[in-house]
Amino acid sequence: MAGAAIGLTSMLASTAEAAVACSSLAGPPIVYVENGDTQEPLMKRLGARLVSSATPIRIVYKNKRTCDLALDLYSTPPNKLVPDAILTKYIPTPTEDPTWTPLSVSPTCDPDAGGNDIGLGIGATFLSSCANLPAAPAGLAQTKGPTQSYGFIVPEASSQIALTAQEGYFAYGFTQGTGMAAPWVNQALRYSRGPTASTALTCSSAIGLKASQLKGTVPAGNTSTEILNFVATSGNPEATIGLMGTEVYDGARNLVKLLAFKGFGQRYAYFPDSTSTSFDKKNVRDGHYLPWAPTPYVTHVDAMGKATDPNVQRIIDLVLGARVDADVNGLDQVIASGLVPDCAMAVQRAFDGGDLSLYSAPESCACYFEAKVPQGSTKCTTCTTDAPCGSGKCHRGYCEVR
Amino acid sequence: MNTRKIGIVIGVLAALSGIGIVACDDSSNAVKETPIPLNDAGMPVTPGIDSGGPQPGTDGGGPTLPDGAPSDCFMNPHTHFEIINACTDSVKITKNPTLPLLLSDGGLPPPM
Repeated sequence: MAGAAIGLTSMLASTAEAAVACSSLAGPPIVYVENGDTQEPLMKRLGARLVSSATPIRIVYKNKRTCDLALDLYSTPPNKLVPDAILTKYIPTPTEDPTWTPLSVSPTCDPDAGGNDIGLGIGATFLSSCANLPAAPAGLAQTKGPTQSYGFIVPEASSQIALTAQEGYFAYGFTQGTGMAAPWVNQALRYSRGPTASTALTCSSAIGLKASQLKGTVPAGNTSTEILNFVATSGNPEATIGLMGTEVYDGARNLVKLLAFKGFGQRYAYFPDSTSTSFDKKNVRDGHYLPWAPTPYVTHVDAMGKATDPNVQRIIDLVLGARVDADVNGLDQVIASGLVPDCAMAVQRAFDGGDLSLYSAPESCACYFEAKVPQGSTKCTTCTTDAPCGSGKCHRGYCEVR
Repeated sequence: MNTRKIGIVIGVLAALSGIGIVACDDSSNAVKETPIPLNDAGMPVTPGIDSGGPQPGTDGGGPTLPDGAPSDCFMNPHTHFEIINACTDSVKITKNPTLPLLLSDGGLPPPM
């Protein structure tokens, strides 16, 4: 309990005063990133590897709602990363802070008064869900990144373990308790995110609503961390519920519970993982768990479709597993951050809440993913060549299906 | 001889009774309400939760999987409906809550 409290305090302790200009940070070249707050764990894990690599890059990032960061990049001219109410954070070099780890609070810095060019935007759901987003300007491209799953969380003391899509519809779609979806009939205790946040967009689509139709309580800062705090400390556990990225939940399983989810047309409810205590995201990958979306990586590209900033292209390639540096394995950081690499997915969809269809990545990493997650294991054959793989292929030490 | 026949009849009746219980088991789950607790390992401890194990069936399912259908999952899924109801060894939880505002045809009224 004390550990849990310390963990929560640590997560909330992100309001330290900035004292340094981001652009004056010495050392590695900087990539300025705007990302959904669900993607912060990846920014920290990957950033820590990159900043201490043989060819270092420093990530300076700002957590921003998906549709807001998309608008920054889709605007003509593009908006910049500017000083505002949302903290700008950076990954310190080992010299600057030898004790810092991805579990630490990131230090903050001040963007230039006129803002800094955003090199990379990382959303956390389909940008087609964003209302009023203009057409993408020429030279801006989107790459499908890892899959982000979401869910509905309740306090540890709640007796609830599952939510049906219909329950979610009546709980979040109606004011106060008029939806009669017991026990979630107190609107003040139904926590939500604003309508430009990916968490709200993807969760609402899973229960048949638009994000703008959610009847809940949006915390003042509109952040996942606030929702986690309110749900974890609720004085009325049974009536309390909130929306959350599952990788945020994975780091806070000692504080709240994630409900199994039963989508429209499903016979049973499922957790994102094969059990409530595993981390394998099996039901996300095979289509039994429905609230999820891919994370779009948005950047300016050249005529060849490559990011105009080679450091941004390096980040994208590392995250996709298309590149592995001797001292930076991006796929490992994706998996450790609770995301599912596209190459481990067996299903796909075209838009938020859209029907699923079967999917086979050009180069599967499902076996590798299963082996790498916490408590992971795989029945796949280990290999160094294709020889033992039959019709499959040897990738990353395992016989994958292709 | 007669005693033996009676014994056989009793045995058959007992077996049929058992089959009946199995056949009705799913329906009873379908109306069971949460909360359904998990044990310390996160595994189900009541009949409302199936701790997994593939439940093979035919692939010829229609748009719904009504209670009492010959199977409750698809072994070789292709469509969205089949994918989300595919056989799996994951923990699955039965929940069919009573929602007063649900329309008689199962539809949803507009949000308010």
